[in-house]
Amino acid sequence: MATAEVTKTQTQSTMVQALRSALLEEMERDENVVLLGEDIGPRGGVFLITEGLIDRFGKDRVIDTPLAEAGIIGAAVGMACYGLRPVAEIQFIDFIFPGFDLLVSEAAKMRYRSAGQFACPMVVRSPYGGGVRGGGYHSQSPEAYFVATPGLKVVAPSNPYDAKGLLIASIRDNDPVVFMEPKKIYRAVKNEVPAGTYEIPIGKAAITREGKHVSVITYGAMVHVALEAAEIMQKERVEVEILDLRTLQPYDSEAILETVGKTGHVVVLQEAPRIGGFAGEIAAFIAEEAIGYLEGPIVRVAGWDTPFPYALEKAYMPNAQRVCRAIKKSINF
Amino acid sequence: MEIKPFTGQPISVLAYDGSPVTNLDSLGISKDEYLSIYRWLVLARAVDDRGYILVRQGRAGFYAQIAGQEASQIGSALPLTKDDWLYGDHRSQGSMLVKGLRAAEWFAHVLGRSLDPSQGRLMPHGPGRNDLHIVPPSSTVGNQITEAVGTAMAQRIKKRKEITIVYFGDGATSEGDFHVGMNFAAVYGSPCIFFCQNNQYAISVRLQEQTHTKTIAEKAKAYGMDGFLVDGNDVLAVYAVSKHCADKARSGNGPSLIEAYTYRYGPHSSADDDTRYRPKGELEMWRNERDPVVRFRRFLEKQKLWNDDKEQKLLAEVKAELAVALEEAEKSPVPEPMTVLDHTYEKLTPHLEWERKELAAELGV
Repeated sequence: MATAEVTKTQTQSTMVQALRSALLEEMERDENVVLLGEDIGPRGGVFLITEGLIDRFGKDRVIDTPLAEAGIIGAAVGMACYGLRPVAEIQFIDFIFPGFDLLVSEAAKMRYRSAGQFACPMVVRSPYGGGVRGGGYHSQSPEAYFVATPGLKVVAPSNPYDAKGLLIASIRDNDPVVFMEPKKIYRAVKNEVPAGTYEIPIGKAAITREGKHVSVITYGAMVHVALEAAEIMQKERVEVEILDLRTLQPYDSEAILETVGKTGHVVVLQEAPRIGGFAGEIAAFIAEEAIGYLEGPIVRVAGWDTPFPYALEKAYMPNAQRVCRAIKKSINF
Repeated sequence: MEIKPFTGQPISVLAYDGSPVTNLDSLGISKDEYLSIYRWLVLARAVDDRGYILVRQGRAGFYAQIAGQEASQIGSALPLTKDDWLYGDHRSQGSMLVKGLRAAEWFAHVLGRSLDPSQGRLMPHGPGRNDLHIVPPSSTVGNQITEAVGTAMAQRIKKRKEITIVYFGDGATSEGDFHVGMNFAAVYGSPCIFFCQNNQYAISVRLQEQTHTKTIAEKAKAYGMDGFLVDGNDVLAVYAVSKHCADKARSGNGPSLIEAYTYRYGPHSSADDDTRYRPKGELEMWRNERDPVVRFRRFLEKQKLWNDDKEQKLLAEVKAELAVALEEAEKSPVPEPMTVLDHTYEKLTPHLEWERKELAAELGV
């Protein structure tokens, strides 16, 4: 069949294309999958993730909403309880907070408070992170709030291939998923994305680069900063292993223990501010469960503990040099 | 009976003495149905009385009474079908009973026993029952409003002849969720009834300090929606208005706001002291002159459908029924401690598996 030929074809895709193809394929597979959000209809979303989907699936399944994040997430909860599989788009994750209550008080707790009678199989997709000159309200990385909320799952892909497989897995998951899209690399990073459907399991990390001297544990756009640092360290004959967590809640503790056991040196890299951040959880986990493997301190690299700046974002965001310094601090202990 | 939105005075069918002020035939309610409505009123009050005693006896930790608001709850729930969805708040157990929740389950919910469909996970605000389409409320005021709209949007997308009703109090109308939910429902023409039990107090803050509008019903105008002000202590009026809005939603003519003007007799909850904020004589006036159960009983008596013998028989019957229900609830065990981790996610995550082992060690199981 002609379609079989198509599914075998692999093309270089951006994350935008990969996400769009995940949405399109899942909507074709399951009529209960509906999209809702601001400007996702004829506009196609401000980043064009949903471009063309309203023409294909109509207004009942690609729902342009009034400008109210609490309405988007609240309605998604009610749709999910009813049996739909809503995929809500929050235009920038910085704007999620009017809907935060609905996410943490409702979506996260519906299964628990009903003793399993009701579930919220829903995804809240949202672009996060800096590097696009977005200033304090189009750049933040608020994953720590969501990771700290039992009942939510949190996913953050680092490349188009993973983005598609993780989004499909998130849509099929029977729990609410906060799907954080690193907007800096929406178009900057390409890799091969198959046209057919595939899932990348939630909760499984991946080794992005193998190395034996130090592990950099990270996720999302920071994977690429880690790769840059690894290239620099290579020149100093330090072989850096990069573990891309891909899912933050539930995170892959086995993969963490494995890489720490292999290298004995750990840097945890995140874009978000350091205090109370997710890197602290990973550091604490390693300290509790793998202290015997460690040959140096666990070093965190993070954004500064300030709001996100506009003109000075380069001074704010973690970069390869900052990661290299952290690596040296860890291995020269 | 013509039902009009935005009336200056609450829509009513019965005067305070129980005599009809409108043509009853237009309601289309049979004599048997009148008797059934009365039974619900009496049962809801008795369940509530019994539930509140459990707190006073120290056997339950919390209770929010519906006393005084029975007509609002029974009258609005009766037009619902089995397939319709109900989102309650912390004071909607009367409606939940009409929708099918058993009294034994309610008592188990108050006591935190396994028979509680929510397995003791919630303060007694109302358990959910998926098969009855009752969604369990959180304690976060107003959140249920946007959720209910989402369900109603889904019902319309799926082209089902179902509606969703959502209950909230006067205080909740100050929350953003009320505005957002009303706006969404109006924009999408969702089959939804926004049912506000205006009992005039949000814990202690009076309606005049809650909003600058004279009524809550008139707020609907701003959303391009009909708003109905109804006497919340007149079960027939509440029924008629709710039926009107349910039929309207079911036939694809969109959402409505209903403000049931009523009064709560008890404190906000068992943890509240209402003597600090109620003016003297107010509670007595409502109780003595406007009580929804007494008012409907007087109506039945005037219609020659009721007398003292029947009343005594009904009270004894309800008392016996609730004794059995409470016994069933009490026999039900407290949920097993090992279940505390369940239902956080569909399956235990690896971290919860680890915590499960820790808990098992702690409990010695």
